[in-house]
Amino acid sequence: MHRDEIPPGTLYLLILKTLARVGEMHGYEIADSIQRISDDVLQVEEGSLYPALQRMLIKGWVKAKWGTTAGNRRARYYQLTAAGRKQLETELSQFERVIGAITRVIRTA
Amino acid sequence: MNWLSELLRRLWMLMRRQQFDADLEEEMRLHLELREQEQTRAGLTPADARDAALRRFGNTTLLKEESYMAWGWEWLESFFQDIAYGSRAMLRSPALTIVALLSLALGIGANTAIFSLLDAVMLRFLPVKDPAQLVLLGKGNTSGITDDFARTQLYSYPFYRQMRGENQVFSDSAAIFSMTNEVHGFVEGRTESEPMNVQLVSGTYFSTLGVRAMVGRTLNDRDDDSEGDHPVAVISYDWWNRSLARDPNILNRTLKLGARTYNIVGVAPREFFGTKVGESPDMWVPLSMVKEVPPNFGGYKDNFSESLLIMARLKPGISISAATSNVNLLFRQILLGFPDAKLSQENLQKLDRTTVPLTPMATGLSSLRRQFSEPLQILMAVVALVLLIACANVANLLLARSTARARELAVRQALGARRTRIIRQLITESLLLALAGGTLGVALASVANRLLLRMVSGGLDPIPLDVSIDPRLLLFTLAVTIATALIFGTVPAFRATRLVLTDTLKAGRGAHSASGKNPLAKALVISQVALSLVLMVGAGLFLRSLVNLNNVDTGFNKENVLRLEIDSSSAGYTPGEPREVALDQQIEERVSTLPNVKAASFSAFTFHEGSWNSKVVVPGINIDEDINVKHNVVGAGYFATMQIPLLAGRNFSPSDASTSQTVAIISEHTAKVLFPLLDPIGRHYYLGDNKPEDEVTVIGVAKDVKFDDLAEEPVNLDYIPYTQHPWDFGDFEVRYTGDFASVAAAVQQTIHSIDRNLPITRVTTLDEQVARSITNQRLVAQLSAFFGLLAVFLSCIGIYGVMSYVVTRRTNEIGIRMALGAGRSNMRWMVLREMLILISIGVAIGVPVTLAGDRLVSNMLFGLRPTDPVTLVSATVILLIVAAIAGYLPARRASLVEPMVALRYE
Repeated sequence: MHRDEIPPGTLYLLILKTLARVGEMHGYEIADSIQRISDDVLQVEEGSLYPALQRMLIKGWVKAKWGTTAGNRRARYYQLTAAGRKQLETELSQFERVIGAITRVIRTA
Repeated sequence: MNWLSELLRRLWMLMRRQQFDADLEEEMRLHLELREQEQTRAGLTPADARDAALRRFGNTTLLKEESYMAWGWEWLESFFQDIAYGSRAMLRSPALTIVALLSLALGIGANTAIFSLLDAVMLRFLPVKDPAQLVLLGKGNTSGITDDFARTQLYSYPFYRQMRGENQVFSDSAAIFSMTNEVHGFVEGRTESEPMNVQLVSGTYFSTLGVRAMVGRTLNDRDDDSEGDHPVAVISYDWWNRSLARDPNILNRTLKLGARTYNIVGVAPREFFGTKVGESPDMWVPLSMVKEVPPNFGGYKDNFSESLLIMARLKPGISISAATSNVNLLFRQILLGFPDAKLSQENLQKLDRTTVPLTPMATGLSSLRRQFSEPLQILMAVVALVLLIACANVANLLLARSTARARELAVRQALGARRTRIIRQLITESLLLALAGGTLGVALASVANRLLLRMVSGGLDPIPLDVSIDPRLLLFTLAVTIATALIFGTVPAFRATRLVLTDTLKAGRGAHSASGKNPLAKALVISQVALSLVLMVGAGLFLRSLVNLNNVDTGFNKENVLRLEIDSSSAGYTPGEPREVALDQQIEERVSTLPNVKAASFSAFTFHEGSWNSKVVVPGINIDEDINVKHNVVGAGYFATMQIPLLAGRNFSPSDASTSQTVAIISEHTAKVLFPLLDPIGRHYYLGDNKPEDEVTVIGVAKDVKFDDLAEEPVNLDYIPYTQHPWDFGDFEVRYTGDFASVAAAVQQTIHSIDRNLPITRVTTLDEQVARSITNQRLVAQLSAFFGLLAVFLSCIGIYGVMSYVVTRRTNEIGIRMALGAGRSNMRWMVLREMLILISIGVAIGVPVTLAGDRLVSNMLFGLRPTDPVTLVSATVILLIVAAIAGYLPARRASLVEPMVALRYE
């Protein structure tokens, strides 16, 4: 199956959106969810999720707490903060503006 | 606020580094295992599933590092690593480290010590409110009392009052008596008098400065509103501590100064020493008491008794130039408005020419500043050069070590370390070395600056200057230290990392063709030699000036003269009254007859004690009207005591009494100026204006003497007997033979047997008095000699280090040469020659630099020119000899190389 690298700079957007939709997730769940919902088209180099999550922790977009998984394993669960929600809106509108512009350029015959 | 909470998160993370690693590890492990399970469910074998999971995850080590670096603390961590590594490296080569540390400690310590003095004398702000707003009328470079018209340095009390009331530019202003009164007063209830330095100030002094009392109150304007009615004093913290053991009941105690009793109304804050740097009065008394405090100067209501400094605080927003024009306008108005102003044509012209400059007073007033600013600047330059030499030394040592470490660095670069990273590490190591050296230096300075202060004080009580190690000084030292590290650390670091990797790795212990040719190290040695020469010649010039000054013919015999000061005004005597004259004569008589005493006399001055001078007028002889003559008021025994020969005429005698013709003895030089080509004996002149009561008759001519300092040209000087011109004496001189201490004791006992209340101070010899006048020159000569030797010593270490290094690197070559038949002396000469070339180049560069630099200090030289060839040649020769000794040891080692050992060595 062919998989596409995600466009640069959109990793934050994907993580923020995923967390906004579900609420609380650990790293593996985030990676898995992004893949499944994109029908396995978008491939995140799974490990790169973690440095990204650290940067988001520094920025205060997400907060983390330890909990247990369904399989009774310890896992770090991430959750959006108010700042994170605001960031999501900013990134979304920016993304739409860019995509819209690109689409218009492509569609113009 | 965002950045703040972000910073807090980052800091929080820094605290729990281990937790962070463990958390990340666990999180990633969970991820991998979950993915592995998923792959297994999809039908892969366990091994394949694991591989697939790892592949999809990426490089865990890299990702962990990236996660950590996101927090931005890795520089701190590597910094600590570098420090740990650096300390270990320093401990591995203890000899090198000790030499480097000592060089740095001496260099940095010397800089800190000299700077602490420079800072205290010249730079530090007064500990008062907004010191930058304070200005002084005039330049503050004089003290005393004058009655000259339109003087801009000192002002009268009525002038101050009017200036304060009428100006529009100052928020407040205050007057300060230009001298402190040295009184011997009594603390109430004590029977022994003690010395008290009293500073007379206007009532607005403390409020203008914005200084509040620590206990009680300060002075206020009401203390200063009517003459003689306000016997109050504010005492200094230091005196409260010293004399009253910090008595909490201080406000109920009183002091007796002269005839009056003063209430202590307050204690000044601890850090407040007044407004003159280097003088700390024991107490401040309102100017309204100026006539009551010994020696009873007076002049409170006299429009032209000019003895006050005026300082003022600028109103906010008023510039100095705006203030200056307002002050100058008032200056004219006030002077012209005084009813007793002598508005002669001459005085009006003078007023038109005069402007009052305003001087910023943030750093306070100081006579020390004038005296010491030049020597201190010279010494600062000297110690800066010493530090540069020390830097060159350390740079050389580091260079040698980094060459030895070349392989280590090459390996690290080959393994992927970035060059910037290695440079950073090497500079961190230098910084570490410099900081250790700096710390030692501060310890050294804290001892050295006390010693310095004692040298500056010239054998008297230490000048009250705060030279202790304070945060400001530490900041200076830190800056110097970091600059030092950058100077000596940067070049070796860049050099060490500029490598052709494969060569270095292959070459093993460095037989590679560098073969001891190390231009940078040699350049460092050359510059050390050049700088040392500059310092040596400087030291030589200062030392020879000092010798010249010591050999100056003073005109009097400074050996075997005891001198002391008697404060008769504090004991209730008033100058001019017969009682005082009788007292003086009685003391002279009784002391003269003591065993081992040959002669004794009072005098207004001896040497280097200031002067009283005035213009003189010679009737009927057309000479320059403005001729100024210094006057010394003396007893009849003065010439015998000082052994100043009389060249013509007669000495004073008992017949020169207050009622007989007024007489004077003039110096040789004065005779030539006042009475050219005439016999001066029997001629007349006037002290000051030609009023009959100021007329004197010349009865004798004395040999010229030095009066103020040793370097001066002959001055106009005359001697007047105190029987005819009452003087409130300070000085009493005794020519003695035998033991100083026993004569001094006998003299003091005799004085006290006449009046036991007479305070006697500053018992010393005339010789010391003369020596004190060249404190400056001695300070510079001794310290520059010390630093010159230090510089040479450091340079020798440098030469020794570099030559040893050269010999080590060339051991192989030497072995081959010797195996081929070269003699040991050849080898020795080969190494020595190399060193001599270095030194010669250093000297060749140093000579022109020296000649250029020494011109800057020509003011401080006496009796020789800055280009003095003897000094230059002898400094060069000494430098050559010492350097040759330093270079000989490695050269000798080269000659002892065993060819077989050297060859097998590779």
